[in-house]
Amino acid sequence: MAEGFIFDHNKCVNCGACGAACTLENGWSVQPREIYTYNKDALTSLPLINLSLACNHCETAVCLEGCPSSSFFRDHVTNAVIIDDSKCIGCRYCQWNCPYDAPKFDYSKRIIGKCNLCYSGLIEGRLPACTYACPTGALSYGEIPVSGNDNIFKWLPDKKLNPSLSLTGKQNVVPVRVIPENIFEPEISLSGDINSIVTGEWILVMFTFLVTLSVSSLISSLFMGKFPDILFFVSTLILAGIISLFHLGKKSRSWRAVSNLKTSPLSREIALFIIYSLLSISAVSFHLPFLMIISTFAGLIMLIIVDTVYIYADKRKKMMFHSGQTFLSGLLIVSFLTANVIPFIFIALIKLVTSVNNILTQKISSVNFSIRFLRIALLLITGISLISGLNKGDTLIISLFLTGELFDRIIFYIDFDPDNINKLIYKNITEAKDEKKRG
Amino acid sequence: MEEFVTACPRNCYSTCSFRVQVEDNKIRRILPFPGNLATPEGPCIKGLSYIERIHSKDRIIHPFIRTSYGKFDQISSENALDIISSRLDHFRQTYGPTSILWYKGSGMSGLTNETGSVFWSAFGGATTTYGNLCWPAGLEAVRLTLGAVKHNVPWDLENAKTIIIWGKNPAETNIQEIAFIARAREKGCRVVVVDPVRTPSADKADILFSPRPGTDAALALAAASIIINDGLTDDSFINKHVKGYDEFRNSLKIIPEEAEKITGIPAENILELAHIIGEGKPLTILPGYGLQRHQNGGQTIRSLLALAVITGNIGKPGCGFNYANLQSYIFDAQKEPVSYYPDPQNDLPFRRTISMAKLGVDMLKTTDPHLKAAWIERGNPLLQSPDTNSVRKAFSKLEFKVVVDQFMTDTAKEADIILPAKGLFEQSDIIGSYWSPYVQFKPAIINSPGEVLPENEIYYYLAKRLKLNVSTTLLPEPGNQNIERWLTHRIKGYSDITMDDLRNGPLLAPGLQQIAWEDMKFETPSGKIELYSSEAASKWGISPLPEYVPVVHEGNRHKYPLVFLTPNKSNRIHSQFGNLNIIKDSTEGPAVEISPADALKRSISSGNKVRIFNLTGEVTSIARISNRVPAGSIVLPNGIWIGEGGGGGGGGGNFLIECAETDIGYGAAFHDNMVEIEKIC
Repeated sequence: MAEGFIFDHNKCVNCGACGAACTLENGWSVQPREIYTYNKDALTSLPLINLSLACNHCETAVCLEGCPSSSFFRDHVTNAVIIDDSKCIGCRYCQWNCPYDAPKFDYSKRIIGKCNLCYSGLIEGRLPACTYACPTGALSYGEIPVSGNDNIFKWLPDKKLNPSLSLTGKQNVVPVRVIPENIFEPEISLSGDINSIVTGEWILVMFTFLVTLSVSSLISSLFMGKFPDILFFVSTLILAGIISLFHLGKKSRSWRAVSNLKTSPLSREIALFIIYSLLSISAVSFHLPFLMIISTFAGLIMLIIVDTVYIYADKRKKMMFHSGQTFLSGLLIVSFLTANVIPFIFIALIKLVTSVNNILTQKISSVNFSIRFLRIALLLITGISLISGLNKGDTLIISLFLTGELFDRIIFYIDFDPDNINKLIYKNITEAKDEKKRG
Repeated sequence: MEEFVTACPRNCYSTCSFRVQVEDNKIRRILPFPGNLATPEGPCIKGLSYIERIHSKDRIIHPFIRTSYGKFDQISSENALDIISSRLDHFRQTYGPTSILWYKGSGMSGLTNETGSVFWSAFGGATTTYGNLCWPAGLEAVRLTLGAVKHNVPWDLENAKTIIIWGKNPAETNIQEIAFIARAREKGCRVVVVDPVRTPSADKADILFSPRPGTDAALALAAASIIINDGLTDDSFINKHVKGYDEFRNSLKIIPEEAEKITGIPAENILELAHIIGEGKPLTILPGYGLQRHQNGGQTIRSLLALAVITGNIGKPGCGFNYANLQSYIFDAQKEPVSYYPDPQNDLPFRRTISMAKLGVDMLKTTDPHLKAAWIERGNPLLQSPDTNSVRKAFSKLEFKVVVDQFMTDTAKEADIILPAKGLFEQSDIIGSYWSPYVQFKPAIINSPGEVLPENEIYYYLAKRLKLNVSTTLLPEPGNQNIERWLTHRIKGYSDITMDDLRNGPLLAPGLQQIAWEDMKFETPSGKIELYSSEAASKWGISPLPEYVPVVHEGNRHKYPLVFLTPNKSNRIHSQFGNLNIIKDSTEGPAVEISPADALKRSISSGNKVRIFNLTGEVTSIARISNRVPAGSIVLPNGIWIGEGGGGGGGGGNFLIECAETDIGYGAAFHDNMVEIEKIC
């Protein structure tokens, strides 16, 4: 029988002892254990549920699989998934991957901190600090009961990763007896700590857009039977490489990013970026046509891998197809630059339909709407000018077209917003409130 | 690593036992000690934080002398003690010993604290305080009614079918009790919370009744009259054990409709509450201390207690009125609350003329002689006494102040000399608990850092310097072996407990009644439960029967429309612990909580800096809009340090609290104040 954290909501009063004990035991500068509260605003129509959560040391450890620097390992005595401080490069990819928000970014050390199950103590027979420190017995560690009663935690991610976690607790709406003048709950806006966990987006936008641009200019040149301008080409790639470093907490360890080709899409992306850069720069510098062909293949594979980095990390699995994906953008740019009208129309239509669909199906704020509108407008204007054959090769039109593609990439990052627990809670409460209103 | 069993000596219900692992004179780990059945899962976050607190770089470990306002220089212990002894001698010679105020708070409990009175007696006396800031109105109410202050053991709560948590918030102030409540609920117990605020304890309840602050007695008496009218009383219990039932029944005047107007709870729900109480046997009421910090606090507790009495919920498993359990205070010649009362003759060396509840005001009033100096230990009276400004003014009139403390508190900042105070692991001691039934030994585990001296050693060295004639049996020579010898001597004759018994871990108090009053013997004048108490009338001048007395709120209701509540939170004990990093990092920071309705009226949003004010004073804080607070009240946690809040503001709520005593017991009526709040930016 598997062992893991056992949590009983009925006894948890959000006292903070578990998180404090964790920090005192391990000397973290960031607390890996966090207490989430469902209905933090104490709306009387909903139960108020506390949940103390750290790492669940899942059987399918997506953090470990996705880590490009192989910083995670599994201790085979305790089954703990552990991060090695000395290896983490601070890329934060594990934060995208983990549905339980277990990896926390430590801003002082610029690396990830995560529950290690106090595994060295556990081997000696001492339970994890958070569990022995819980003053009410709400959090414990032991054999996970076969049948839990976790109905009230429906807002948590499903259990497909086989987390070592058991949750119980009673549904508990507490009616308040008070005259209406003293009412507790006039409509207030829900407070929610729902900030995006995707940080440093601008670095990622620039990096992915520059590599897309690089690959498409290489392919276009090949189609047009010439070599790209060497200065432009090399500086684009060098710029992309330098920019990507800024995404890392620990730049000095960036070389570790290719340590996990076996399971990490991010590791593969970086490896392919290096291979592609070396091949294409050699081909362009020394005018080697054969190498050009090999480079274009490497480039296309790289773009596909870039897209898989996000598909892998999207916990909602809604990101299978997005107009702003690099491979699609790459193809469109090639067809535009080479003025291949039929493929252009085909790809542009795919992009348009996806973009319009996104506007129609998502809840979009006005700021987001204007960038989406601009993006569609730019594609239509530049596309029509290409199809009509006007202003062919005009720098202004090309610039407008590329700006549209850049916007698409920005929209991609707006839409790519992996769930976190607070966001799931917020969504669930909003839905429950809406349902109440309708009912 | 060495391991010891010890206990937490703070002013807290739980008095947790825990294990401590020590290495190189450093506390490495704090673990639960399951042998204490009341706290088997170990201490709360505050207990865990001792790892930081004891070794904190902010801890005062050397004496300091004030050079100018807010500036201190380190001096040696020798020097500090020389200065203190010559100054104390000067005041004694010039004005008499009662020109010195000896103030002691509840910051650290233990028998060794008694050595202070040995010193001050030998010194010739001092002025001291009477009463208590915390709980005496309720203690006196229970004592008048039941003859003693005790209740069933904490784990008996699991036997209850109904639990009424009335004005208590165990989820924050008695966390270990939550485990028993949760287990009772699993067995089908109904849990009801009565509290103006929707506390985290209410999150775990079946129903919350939210009366207006200070109106609990009206609610209880209205419920009592329904219970009587609907025939839900336990008549045979009443006939056998209760004095004054008929008088009580005839005195009940509040009908539910009237109670609705007073309490803000609909009449039909008062009926509901009455039937929950009358029908859900066995029933335990868990009253808190906040609801007796009103000018009608004693009568409020008597009214609540009457509900348990008329339904026969006393002296049986799963039953009771768990106000406080003093069964482990076996070494006290005189128990609380009687020990708080001033000596009527006022002819002892200690002149008890200053009310704890009115510290600043009474200090300023004291003449013949005027107060010239103060000695403050185990307390932070500047922050924790009502009307901070009056205390500050009274302090500023003194010529000399000594403060013994671990940290640079707001009181320590006022000192002329600060002496470093011992930590809880640095001296052996014995403590009881007012909730769990254990007597506990607290061994010396590590050496004190720097020049820290326990109070008895400070007193010993001062007595030497002042050439006082004190026997070392009463005021032992320095060294932990000597204090252990003193403890051995101290506990002789009280029971057959020895130090060796205590060293084995927490000990159930000898003579403990696991089920309080199972013998149905009440130590009242009549030997019965006294709903009608002649002593209440003769001693305190209140009605001999429980009654609802409307609280007279200070200030103008129109100008200051909000009731000001200053409860305790889980992350501090009054003003202790809030300064530690592990507490700041793991829990929510201080803020004033305000209802959405009141916030809207004043255009206040969460995160705004706000000013809270009335005629007594003002503080600034950060606002947090909360559905937990009912309209008409605001909540500022107790014990916030001056300058602690955001933007250099902060300060405890006591700036706004007018000095007032409770109706009985000489307690402090903290919760009767009205305030206004406005946005600063």
